[in-house]
Amino acid sequence: MSALEIWLLIIGLTLITQLMRSTFLLFGDRFRLPERVQHGLRYAPVCALIALITPELFVNQGALDISMSNPKLVAGIVAALSTLVLRSMIATIALGMLVFATLQMLA
Amino acid sequence: MKALFGSRPELARVRRDAFVHGIRIVAPLTLATATWGVVTGVAMVKVGLTTAQAIGMSLLVFSGSAQLASLPLIAAAAPIWVVLLTAFVINLRFVIFSAGLQPFFRRLALRKRLLLAYFIIDFSFAMFLSRFSDTSDDERGTTEQIWFFLGMAAYSWIIWQATSIAGILLAAQVPTEWGLEFASIIALIAMTIPMIIGKPALVGAMTAGVVAVIAAGLPLKLGLLVAVVAGIAAAMSAELVLGKREAKH
Repeated sequence: MSALEIWLLIIGLTLITQLMRSTFLLFGDRFRLPERVQHGLRYAPVCALIALITPELFVNQGALDISMSNPKLVAGIVAALSTLVLRSMIATIALGMLVFATLQMLA
Repeated sequence: MKALFGSRPELARVRRDAFVHGIRIVAPLTLATATWGVVTGVAMVKVGLTTAQAIGMSLLVFSGSAQLASLPLIAAAAPIWVVLLTAFVINLRFVIFSAGLQPFFRRLALRKRLLLAYFIIDFSFAMFLSRFSDTSDDERGTTEQIWFFLGMAAYSWIIWQATSIAGILLAAQVPTEWGLEFASIIALIAMTIPMIIGKPALVGAMTAGVVAVIAAGLPLKLGLLVAVVAGIAAAMSAELVLGKREAKH
């Protein structure tokens, strides 16, 4: 991306984020989302975040790579387990990066 | 102090107490916020943003999840609208947050509402509502509540911006061989997994994850959108199935 495109992107992200944070603070009582839509929206962020993560882990140079020799996949699994067990962001980032760096060095 | 809390002593004391209370509530999260800020700062520079762009993004967007989510897409040179659409989906939770806070902030002037909106983040929202959701309608929007929110907001904002900018400035000293770009993905994992609460969310997340891998080859990163739609549909179907089963017992 060119410098101009990056700045346009940053401005776009700013507007979208500010507008969405303001939604109901702007509309006041005049407008309400149907209960069912609100309910479905609850799942959107988790689904989007997971959908960003899995291709980074499972797709290696354009091809599906489900093997222990894929450092990103192994590090990602370690990070996921660490999140569940240790419940510490710092420990998870440190452990995940340590595994990733080690596996890359060995490869 | 007068500049911040005003010159009327009674009111200033109420404001200051609520503000300090807000700070106390978010203070235990300092280390987690700081780690997150540094990683986001470094990751922005590592995908190729200049120092000015990264600092601009941090100050203007002020949303770790939207920023981190946009980085792999920027690195892959995805079209701008795809990045914006992704941020839109990630930010959908803010729409729900704004609906939750609306009863408390609605009497304020528009520019104050817009300013408070900028400071809405996941943890502050959760802490605010868990504390005040039991109040009746005429107990909402008090000085104490507004300044409690401001205390949480100010503290979180300062910690986040300071550590994020530290990360941006330090990023050049970090060798590329460390693969620190990948840290943003690890950070996303650490952020996302605790958000998966309940079986329908788990079904939705797994569906979205699998579909995203299968559809990774689609042009314009459309696989992401397909995955989100599939994930929401799966989560809501799971709710129906699990709900019916529970109703039978």
